[in-house]
Amino acid sequence: MNPTASQSSIVSITNVTKDYTLGKVVVPALRGVDLEVHAGEFISIAGPSGSGKTTLLNLIGCVDTATGGVVRVAGQDTKQLTERQLTNLRLNTIGFIFQSFNLVQVLSVFQNVEFPLLLQRKLDKAQRRERVMQLLEQVGLASHAKHRPNELSGGQRQRVAVARALVTRPQLVLADEPTANLDSVTGQNIIDLMKELNQKEGTTFIFSTHDAKVMSHANAVVRLADGNFLDRISAAEASRAMAAGGH
Amino acid sequence: MGQLRLLLQVAFRNLFSSKINLLIGGIIFFGTLLVVVGGALMDSMDSAMSRSIIGSVAGHIQVYSDDSKDPLALYGSMSGEPDLAALDDFSQLRPFLEKHPNVKTVVPLGTSGAIVTSGNTVDLTLSNLRALYKKRDEAGETPELRESIDSVKGHVRQMVNLMADQTAKSEQELGGAQKDPAEVEALARARTDAFWDAFEEAPYSALELLENRIAPQIPDGDMLELRYAGTDLDAFQRTFDRMEIVDGQPVPTGQRGMLLSKFFYEEFLKMKSALRLDHIKQERDLNQKTIATDPDLQRWVKENQTQTREIIFQLDPVKTRKMVERLQKLLGSQEPALDKLLTQFFTTDDANFDTRYAQFYSELAPLLELYRLRMGDVLTITAFTRTGYMQSVNVKVYGTYQFKGLEKSAMAGALSLMDLMSFRDLYGYLTADKKAELAEIQKQSGVEALSRDEAEEALFGEASDNELVAEATSSDVDDQAAFIGDQGALTRENLLQRVYTQQEIEQGVALSAAVMLKDPELLEQTMVELRQAAKDAGLKLRVVSWQEAAGIIGQFVLLGKLVLYFAVFIIFVVALVIINNAMMMATMQRVREVGTMRAIGAQRSFILGMVLVETLVLGLVFGSAGSLVGSGIMALLNSAGIPAGNEALYFFFSGPRLFPTLSASNLVAAFVIVLGVSAISTLYPAFLATRVSPLQAMQTDE
Repeated sequence: MNPTASQSSIVSITNVTKDYTLGKVVVPALRGVDLEVHAGEFISIAGPSGSGKTTLLNLIGCVDTATGGVVRVAGQDTKQLTERQLTNLRLNTIGFIFQSFNLVQVLSVFQNVEFPLLLQRKLDKAQRRERVMQLLEQVGLASHAKHRPNELSGGQRQRVAVARALVTRPQLVLADEPTANLDSVTGQNIIDLMKELNQKEGTTFIFSTHDAKVMSHANAVVRLADGNFLDRISAAEASRAMAAGGH
Repeated sequence: MGQLRLLLQVAFRNLFSSKINLLIGGIIFFGTLLVVVGGALMDSMDSAMSRSIIGSVAGHIQVYSDDSKDPLALYGSMSGEPDLAALDDFSQLRPFLEKHPNVKTVVPLGTSGAIVTSGNTVDLTLSNLRALYKKRDEAGETPELRESIDSVKGHVRQMVNLMADQTAKSEQELGGAQKDPAEVEALARARTDAFWDAFEEAPYSALELLENRIAPQIPDGDMLELRYAGTDLDAFQRTFDRMEIVDGQPVPTGQRGMLLSKFFYEEFLKMKSALRLDHIKQERDLNQKTIATDPDLQRWVKENQTQTREIIFQLDPVKTRKMVERLQKLLGSQEPALDKLLTQFFTTDDANFDTRYAQFYSELAPLLELYRLRMGDVLTITAFTRTGYMQSVNVKVYGTYQFKGLEKSAMAGALSLMDLMSFRDLYGYLTADKKAELAEIQKQSGVEALSRDEAEEALFGEASDNELVAEATSSDVDDQAAFIGDQGALTRENLLQRVYTQQEIEQGVALSAAVMLKDPELLEQTMVELRQAAKDAGLKLRVVSWQEAAGIIGQFVLLGKLVLYFAVFIIFVVALVIINNAMMMATMQRVREVGTMRAIGAQRSFILGMVLVETLVLGLVFGSAGSLVGSGIMALLNSAGIPAGNEALYFFFSGPRLFPTLSASNLVAAFVIVLGVSAISTLYPAFLATRVSPLQAMQTDE
């Protein structure tokens, strides 16, 4: 890990607003949010449903664009980028972990993990194989490489998704409610795995959750309420706040 | 490379993953099947029919005069015979055409139609009787001759009695219909013993009464429409090698004569009862129909039961007795009346038909004349000439012919063949004989022959006097004489004996020339070259392919093809819509998968490629299956053959069975169409897929 890189800001959000139009009604989802995420951080975004967690993650993940303000990912202003460039940014810089795993059903575990590498076209077959198997080792599913997603349990599927998110060695991994569809033990395992990879590889993780236990693993918790940035606090503070009956 | 492999894997694995794909696959499967089987059948039928047309009368190319008002139609057209200008001298056309290296043979042709009367039985019997009396007058009476005369006389008397009975019966039924009293009286007189007792004293006046008063009362003579082709018969036989003589013999080289089409001979000149038996047998044997179930067969049986007069009229008393005896024996009956016996004999069902059929031909037929015309008879053909007057020509019928494989086809059997000389007479063009005769008549009457140019000059030219008009007026009576004279000449026996040289046959009018090629593949090119050569030589010729020359028939195949292509087109338009909709649904089902791929970093082009590759794989897999099954069906059909269920199909099948073949072009066409259709129908769904937002990936199941 390059220490200077770890200190640099990988995500920089300045006064970002996002409005959705429902028919003729304009619904504000984010009302001016500021956020700095540094490389190597393990950050949780917390807040009740409708607070704008998913919208914020979508903006950071370059799958959506802000109505106002500036979103910078890996130093690039996403508003200035074309659709193609945004796609490439997603491919090379960001890894995604979805709430519903979103594996391609007709592909094997190995092929699902290999998929982003094929899109990248950077590695040859042997290199891809080595990389994929290495990731599958790390998530503990090397023996399941040839299985289809529907032959795996929920936890196993999410681990495949984690492997897929990390196979391109992205600087940033985004996870929207990664444990929501899992039981608490399995969810715990996934968070442990993410934390482990964060520490070993120095990958930055931003995940949303409303589970206090999950939150407690984060370096910092960013709290949102009604589309507004509430505060950025430590995990311990967040736990206390939750215990106190707050959000 | 890796991407493409991935896309193919995704495509193959998605193939059976959704019902929608199976639906699309099914459509593609049947579409391909239809194109392969339908296309191959059409092509096979096309080539079979082209063999029929080319091999029977058309040749590969037909050449005719460019001055013709109508296009050539060898099989006739909707509006009757086409109006063609004549090729004045075939002997000059032939070497011109034969100069082309690809031309194998050239045959002169002229098709036309005429009415012939088949004659009724009474007429024929009476003329037979008259001939016997004439013979007696010339050569004196012998015991054999007396026996013949008595037999025929008995036959005639029997016919008169039958007629009188039937008239009485029909009068009873119809309640005294209007009848010419002279006819009634004549019939009554002819029935009396006195009439027959006095017959020998004045046989000719008695015959006259029968011929003029009695015979016309029987309307059983048929007016037959005879289509014929005048041609160089030897050259025709050499060129169209499917032609074979069935009855009789070929027309001797160089002589006038006719070969009836076997089909025409059977269908129109055979005794109706026998023909109906043949039809029933054929339907039973070939098409597995039964008398019990098929209304046509039942109708024929019924007609045979009721229409026995044709048989009864043919028989003189001696033969009638024999026939009654045979029928009594066959049927184990004591019934003395012939008509009742015949009705009983013809009361056939599926159980006894084959026996009765065999008995008819072995026991009854020897007593009968099965055909109204025998080989060697002279047929009088009356036709309107081009200029509109009636012309009659006697032609000796030497035999019947058919085209191998097309025996049952009415289309191939439509044309009877005739020598060119008789044809030219009927068509109203001058043969050398007629020219000579006309010259003789003109010399007698003092009429001058003028060419058309001279005639125009004579009529309208300023320099000339009113000479021609005056001549024409004065020659009224001579015209009449010429007409009678030339009729007489044409019916003279010696014309039928005369042997014409090849030069005489060819030097004269033909309507078209059938050209057979050495290499049929070069048809189009040869046509173009012949047209150019004609233009260069200043000949006004039309050069057309067999398909055009066949007229309405050629258009049938074109129509068939159009119908098929239209059906295929409709099916694929429907397929296009269905596939398009199905692909839209399939895309909608996969919105999250596509969104996920987009979020992970797949470009739009990747998504487009994915959908297209999937459709292509779908098309290839199901298209191949369709082609494979189609090829299987064609292989089966090819070994078993498709039976030509009805007689009209014989022509299109070029025989009793079509053995269709599958060509590579059918398969290629099927693939191109199927892949094209599936690709086009996927464009919009594929475009929609590329518009799926990566945001779709973020949606949860709940």
